[in-house]
Amino acid sequence: MDLPTVKTKSFCAAGAALMIALAAASLFVGKYPLSIEGLLKGDPMQLRVFWTLRASRTIVGIAGGFALGVAGFVYQTVFRNPLASPDVIGVSSGASAGAAAGILFLSGAAAVTASAFAGALAAVGLALALSSLDRAGKNSTIVLAGIAVHSLAQTALMCLKLTADPERELASIEYWIMGSLNGISGYSIGGNIALCILCLILLFLLHRQIILLSAEEGEARMLGVHVGRLRLAVLLIATLTVSCIVSLSGLISFVGLLAPHGARLLTKRNSAGTMLLGGLLGSILLTGADILARSAASTELPVSIFTSLLGAPFLIFLIIRGRQRT
Amino acid sequence: MSFFSVTDLTAGYGGKPVIDRISFELEAGCLLGLLGANGSGKTTLLKSICGILPHRGSCVLEGSVLEQLSPRELAGRCSYVPQRSGISIDLSVLDVVLMGFNPRLGLLEYPSGDMKERARKALARVGLGGREEENYLHLSEGQKQLCILARTLASEGRLLLLDEPESALDFRYRYQMLDLLRGWVREEKRAVLAALHDPSLALNYCDRLLLLADGKVLAVLKPGTDALNKMEEELGVLYGRVSLQRCRDKSGREQLVMLKEPETE
Repeated sequence: MDLPTVKTKSFCAAGAALMIALAAASLFVGKYPLSIEGLLKGDPMQLRVFWTLRASRTIVGIAGGFALGVAGFVYQTVFRNPLASPDVIGVSSGASAGAAAGILFLSGAAAVTASAFAGALAAVGLALALSSLDRAGKNSTIVLAGIAVHSLAQTALMCLKLTADPERELASIEYWIMGSLNGISGYSIGGNIALCILCLILLFLLHRQIILLSAEEGEARMLGVHVGRLRLAVLLIATLTVSCIVSLSGLISFVGLLAPHGARLLTKRNSAGTMLLGGLLGSILLTGADILARSAASTELPVSIFTSLLGAPFLIFLIIRGRQRT
Repeated sequence: MSFFSVTDLTAGYGGKPVIDRISFELEAGCLLGLLGANGSGKTTLLKSICGILPHRGSCVLEGSVLEQLSPRELAGRCSYVPQRSGISIDLSVLDVVLMGFNPRLGLLEYPSGDMKERARKALARVGLGGREEENYLHLSEGQKQLCILARTLASEGRLLLLDEPESALDFRYRYQMLDLLRGWVREEKRAVLAALHDPSLALNYCDRLLLLADGKVLAVLKPGTDALNKMEEELGVLYGRVSLQRCRDKSGREQLVMLKEPETE
């Protein structure tokens, strides 16, 4: 086995071990103290907190971080741009506008999640429909369509904020936009997580095609790739993956950008193993940030504060390390 | 019926034609060189044939109209080596070569062990044996060209289109690449159409030369049989006054040498 493959496998094994350790910690950290003895003895309150709150929150942390990391890898590869993320085609702003509409006109957390999901899908659908007007299906057309959709969604969000009650609804909208895994319960995550896992499986199966899309458009076509159709399909699946998560958690910054970067800097490749490592790093980052968000202060803090606080120095460290090696 | 034919091919950018009603035929086992000044339409012609550029006219390869084929069917028959590959992410040299098997693989299928072995052999053939796991982006421009050529050889297409494949290669590898192409084209029923930068190389390796000027076919030369003064005249339109000499190397092989003459006596 060649050295890069061995290295990638070692990093993936270490990443998986760290992710499992953080997931275990995530199950027991929080305002309501849980213990293994209490759970084993069948304490009803502890079991209820464990199954309805902690387990679901941990699952969303792990699956959400993994999805954001993998989707970030896909976006950066397809757009051949290290700064590409799901925001490129307006998914985050669409989800925000949808969530704001849900907070204003619907009731209940599940309704807000559904509304955010619908907003994200509408943004993606509109961006991809606009870009398909250009038959050549260039990357730049998709990005321009995404910018237009992002602006439209931001305008809708501003209008919704203007009509919101400043004391209650506006605060909820702002809190949602800042992102948090607080309030996620086992009753509301099933459908989203199942769809997210299905999309992730498809993305891993399509890894070879995703790498082909990283070639220049004419070259990819001469390798037998139907560039326009395949790129639309891959971006749609990657965006669906992200939509499943952000509609549950609100906007989570930095994970989709940082995790694939970290994986590439560590493995120096773009193999399926690198994509897996990107997902594992995303899970580690989001779960670690969530543990800090619920334990660093007396009140629950937005998780994006910690994903950025953990992520920025890590990215700087990896860049310096990469430069020293070259 | 010819192996490959191009009829009335017209293409350009922004509505302005760069090549205008170009027609020619290519027999199996033939290495056809494209010569022309910068902007004469060499790259436009190659990109049109392989469907990257929209065009008018038709290209027929072994009875199949290329314009009617899907990208996958086209890639299975016809390979294109651009001046520079657009690969800009970290991939191993072997992974780049394995991309050439895509037309023979299903959407979710991965290259087999046999394909990997063939890719290794193709790399050895172009002189990159043992470098399979190196990062493609860390290769020199010339080595990248050789890697892309290995990808093309491994994919076993029928028609190979090359855009100045020798431009980034040093003296030794230029000759090695053209030797390789000449051998490859004669192994089976195949043909090569190569835009070449170096006329001396083209004169010594190509069976025929298509001279392009202002998007039109200026002349077709057969360096092996055409009279020197006829070729000097035609090449002079592209390069100014030139003279051709037939000479022999130490192994006895005859070679054509092109010399640049002063423009005024």
